[in-house]
Amino acid sequence: MSSPAVVTPGLDLQASFLDLLDGFGVSQGLAHLLWLPLPMLTVLVAAVVGVLVNVWLERKISAAVQQRIGPEYAGALGILQPMADGLKLLFKEDIIPARADGLLFTLGPVLVLVPVILSWLVVPFGQNLMISNVGVGVFLWVALSSIQPIGLLMSGYSSNNKYSLLGGLRAAAQSISYEIPLALSVLAIVMMSNSLSTVDIVNQQTGAGIFSWNIWRQPVGFVIFWICALAECERLPFDLPEAEEELVAGYQTEYAGMKFALFYLGSYINLVLSALLVSVLYLGGWGFPLPVEWLAGLLGQSVDAPAVQVITGTLGIVMTVLKAYLLVFFAILLRWTVPRVRIDQLLDLGWKFMLPIALVNLLVTAALKLAFPAAFGG
Amino acid sequence: MFGFLKKVGDYTQDAVGAAKYITQGLGVTFDHLRRRPITVQYPYEKLIPSERYRGRIHYEFDKCIACEVCVRVCPINLPVVDWVMNKATKKKELRNYSIDFGVCIFCGNCVEYCPTNCLSMTEEYELAAFDRHSLNYDNVALGRLPTSVTSDPSVVPLRELAYLPKGTMDPHGVAAAAPRAGLLPEQVLASMPQAPASTPAATQPSASDSAASDA
Repeated sequence: MSSPAVVTPGLDLQASFLDLLDGFGVSQGLAHLLWLPLPMLTVLVAAVVGVLVNVWLERKISAAVQQRIGPEYAGALGILQPMADGLKLLFKEDIIPARADGLLFTLGPVLVLVPVILSWLVVPFGQNLMISNVGVGVFLWVALSSIQPIGLLMSGYSSNNKYSLLGGLRAAAQSISYEIPLALSVLAIVMMSNSLSTVDIVNQQTGAGIFSWNIWRQPVGFVIFWICALAECERLPFDLPEAEEELVAGYQTEYAGMKFALFYLGSYINLVLSALLVSVLYLGGWGFPLPVEWLAGLLGQSVDAPAVQVITGTLGIVMTVLKAYLLVFFAILLRWTVPRVRIDQLLDLGWKFMLPIALVNLLVTAALKLAFPAAFGG
Repeated sequence: MFGFLKKVGDYTQDAVGAAKYITQGLGVTFDHLRRRPITVQYPYEKLIPSERYRGRIHYEFDKCIACEVCVRVCPINLPVVDWVMNKATKKKELRNYSIDFGVCIFCGNCVEYCPTNCLSMTEEYELAAFDRHSLNYDNVALGRLPTSVTSDPSVVPLRELAYLPKGTMDPHGVAAAAPRAGLLPEQVLASMPQAPASTPAATQPSASDSAASDA
């Protein structure tokens, strides 16, 4: 609804960092080289800390829903429990089953984790608070998430175990069938914002605060995207690949120690990532429910003032994370509400329900864009 | 054409219905978030076992007459009664008695049939051991009384649901003197009219009367 010209450049840490080093007399090339690892490390740490928080939330909320207490003794309120879990996995023996395919068995978890972490490349926490503003941002994420089923299939096949194989096949089938409605609902958003870049998508949702968020213009797309994201993360209504009552642990059955930890990490990073992307695509990303420019004007401050920039930048990060974790909370609540679907129901839902609805949603969005170019980003 | 529209309509109805039910379910789970945990924090809190709890068996050596009824009523003849016949006094002399709680199913038949009441059920249920052979209790081990949950200072005793005052669901912070819901057996007996209590006495003479008339 707002043209990009209105959008302020916001906090640019890279420029400030390069200027600072330039002031110390460091050459441009060296300064850039020094800058490069910083955002990557930050995002990697953020992703892992996000997972720790997520695991803790999952255990505490699950406990509360079931009228239990949950982890209590590892740190205050059990906040160190995820650390303890992780450390335990770190120290456990790394087992490769005797008749398994060693190479594929090792490669599987890596192939599952790497695309997920790579996808954090395109998650914006602010105007310039992301690793790289790739022009094809969302498309990159959709493409990267298609690599995951290969890793799952690989680990399922190489484990030399019937449960693993079935779990891997299920995971692949599930990922493939939910990829399409997911991509279609993303396409509707892309059509509205005329860009694949996540920053542009968020910028297109600023201007009128909460009312300019995409969720009002794409309610169906939002629901479809969220359901598909849950299916991609193998969250509970769709956790057939690792359904413990039927398949022991699916493709993870033969894994122990650090390799299992990689799967675990991957699934939780994926959940946080999906929640972040839902908040970016549908809930205005780093946008505050009230327009920041308006608030700054109310306080008589310029949006470009350094202090205001720092505050808006912090607010952006807080808002993105808050929205993402609200969605994670919703996912956890959903986990204890909805029973697991059968494999045929899962595929039915994906192909016979989500796909047509997503297609219709896309067509309707296109029609609305032609009819009301002002409201739908013409 | 209309068939297709009807299909779309049914479809939408299904979707709306599903959404409604899922929202209802989410409401239920969300409501549970604000409820107090109902779990018992075991080593620190313990439930008080009910009166007729069938726990580890207690045995009094001095009361036992070595009749071996417990062995005969036991489904697997578990109790080991080690006695010898004293030829001089022509009486059984009990040497040892043991029950293996690794095998016992706590059915309570031995307690039920013991003619001298030397066997009884305790409320002890914490029988974990590192070695299954240490679960084979001899007469000394069988003679020990368990620590009561209520008298253990390191444990918060919690009442089970049936023993809570009326309307209370949470055993935490219930006063020890608060009476449980309903009447105790003594109270039921006290509230009953006196007539049924005297019937056995009344029937006694009539039975003897009939016996007399028969004679």
